[in-house]
Amino acid sequence: MAETEEEVDVLVQRVVKDITNAFKRNPNIDEIGVIPCPEARYNRSPIVLVENKLGVESWCVKFLLPYVHNKLLLYRQRKHWLDREALVDITCTLLLLNPDFTTAWNVRKELLQCGVLNPEKDLYLGKLALTKFPKSPETWIHRRWVLQQIMQQFSSVSRNRKKQHQAEGEQADPERIQQIRDQLARTLHQEMKVCSDASCRYPSNYNAWSHRIWVLQHMAKGNVKVFHDELSSMRLWVSMHVSDHSGFHYRQFLIKELINELSQTPAPGSPQHRSSSVHSGSHSYSCSQSNGELPVAEAAAAEDADRQLSFTTVLQVFHQEMELCSDLIQSFPGHEALWCHRRHVFYLWHHWRREHQQNLNGSSNSATETVLVNSSDPGSPPSGGGVGEGPSADRPGHAAEAMDEDRALLPEPRDSKRLKRGVLMPGTPTLSTEHNFVSSVLDGCCNLEQRRFAQAYRKWLDTVIGQQL
Amino acid sequence: MKLYSLSVLYKGATKANLLKAAYDLSSFSFFQRSSVQEFMTFTSALIVERTSQGSRASVKEQEYLCHVYVRNDNLSAVVIADTEYPQRVCFTLLDKVLEEFSRQVDSIDWPSGNPETINYKALDIHLSKYQNPREADAMTKVQAELDETKIILHNTMESLLERGEKLDDLVAKSEHLGNQSKAFYKTARKQNSCCEIM
Repeated sequence: MAETEEEVDVLVQRVVKDITNAFKRNPNIDEIGVIPCPEARYNRSPIVLVENKLGVESWCVKFLLPYVHNKLLLYRQRKHWLDREALVDITCTLLLLNPDFTTAWNVRKELLQCGVLNPEKDLYLGKLALTKFPKSPETWIHRRWVLQQIMQQFSSVSRNRKKQHQAEGEQADPERIQQIRDQLARTLHQEMKVCSDASCRYPSNYNAWSHRIWVLQHMAKGNVKVFHDELSSMRLWVSMHVSDHSGFHYRQFLIKELINELSQTPAPGSPQHRSSSVHSGSHSYSCSQSNGELPVAEAAAAEDADRQLSFTTVLQVFHQEMELCSDLIQSFPGHEALWCHRRHVFYLWHHWRREHQQNLNGSSNSATETVLVNSSDPGSPPSGGGVGEGPSADRPGHAAEAMDEDRALLPEPRDSKRLKRGVLMPGTPTLSTEHNFVSSVLDGCCNLEQRRFAQAYRKWLDTVIGQQL
Repeated sequence: MKLYSLSVLYKGATKANLLKAAYDLSSFSFFQRSSVQEFMTFTSALIVERTSQGSRASVKEQEYLCHVYVRNDNLSAVVIADTEYPQRVCFTLLDKVLEEFSRQVDSIDWPSGNPETINYKALDIHLSKYQNPREADAMTKVQAELDETKIILHNTMESLLERGEKLDDLVAKSEHLGNQSKAFYKTARKQNSCCEIM
């Protein structure tokens, strides 16, 4: 290919234009890719658009990339002037081919700040780049910057609104606030989608998962519902990716956050809670709601009930996670990620129980407490062989007895409901149930890896958890 | 865990003859799908050709595992999965598909049939149902009867080849692979990965 510099120049400009036009013609492009094609076919553009997918024929990449790269660098060094429109086009082409080129993202940050680009457009470009380069760290970093811009925009809008309304002696406009919340919820949802796609395209995609965590921490802080939804929507994902540790690590994060949030109380339904639920910068527009007019006593009772509900939820979360984990370990033998997850969840549970046992003992009688106290007693020093024999056998009867006592003590109607929850709550994990689980795995399995993991888990139970009791 | 392709072939004297195939390539990027599909067909045929009558084998190639079952009557099936997908379930699927296929398609048609002439429609259904191994009925412990120790395990495709034979040559010679797929193979080879170009 003996192409002169001028020819390359013409070619590249045409290709950049073709890409820009493709986006104008079809705003729904949802994937980019390179088409393996070593030779150019003349009189045909190397840009192909099929079914919302934008493809670049591979032969032109080696001309295109250095050219746009140099052009942008020359602009940065102030040796070559480019107008805004050209900058937008060139950075777009460049980033679709090489999204880890930080300078190009920085140029776009400037364009965004002076209003030439809007944040949604940049999120879209990043999303497309991630379809080809799902790990690209610079793309994820830029995404977080753009999201921060969006959040700042929203919080300043709501602040201004509020000031304006206060001046007029009114409450903040609830409709407008709702709008902002909906918009943020949509952005949040879209981010989750982008993260899922990227983590399906590349296994153990650390960048995608840590971005997902960042998004929740910054855009859904304290929003128990979002965390619950994530936990349940991730269930199928981890069941289909049993060796991907990143997915399980994400679940561990969700559980930790949920537990923290629920243990702190006020519980899910209370007004303060809702106020913090959209994102941290949005406290301003919902304080008006929290001026509850409940009588003090009733409020205290409600708070107590909320706390009970939270604890029950915590138990449920732990229980379900351990069930899921057992199920996956048994169905898909020999995956270390599953055993690591089990270890982590049990560790979290172990600590939560130790921390909250005292709290609970101090407060009113409840089903939750019964379960807790009860479940901790068979945790006596682990038996050498690890086969949990005695204590677990008589547990169910024991628990039922304790429940009965509770019922007699607390004849209030509210409590019967609470108790039902308690009764429905099957046994929470204990050291002996874990030992039983390990034994049952070892008994019924000849997969070498699985045996090794089970034995390592048993050893961990004995040395780490056993020592702490 | 993922199943990418499921195919039924007939092992002839020198060549394997593709009778029917189903693919799920949704996880590959759009512009690579046709090449990936050609490669899966090529690989499936090659593996059947190199596997002896009445045996089961699993061949590891990068992040993929190809499971093959060649029956004593030369009817064969190959499923290409990722390494996470349970091997046992794959062989259950292969058994089931071959049994069903031999019931529905007359054995006279096996040596000369091709995907257009063979009337067997269930492959796509099986492939999509088995994507989630737990929804397929295969997870039951009854499957333990399948003696896993008898499955031959090859750690690379190369170990199937004869002395002096090279995969690159086979690819270059193949008439089933188009030019685009061959180019795709070359780039992928350079990158030592099947789904990354550039």
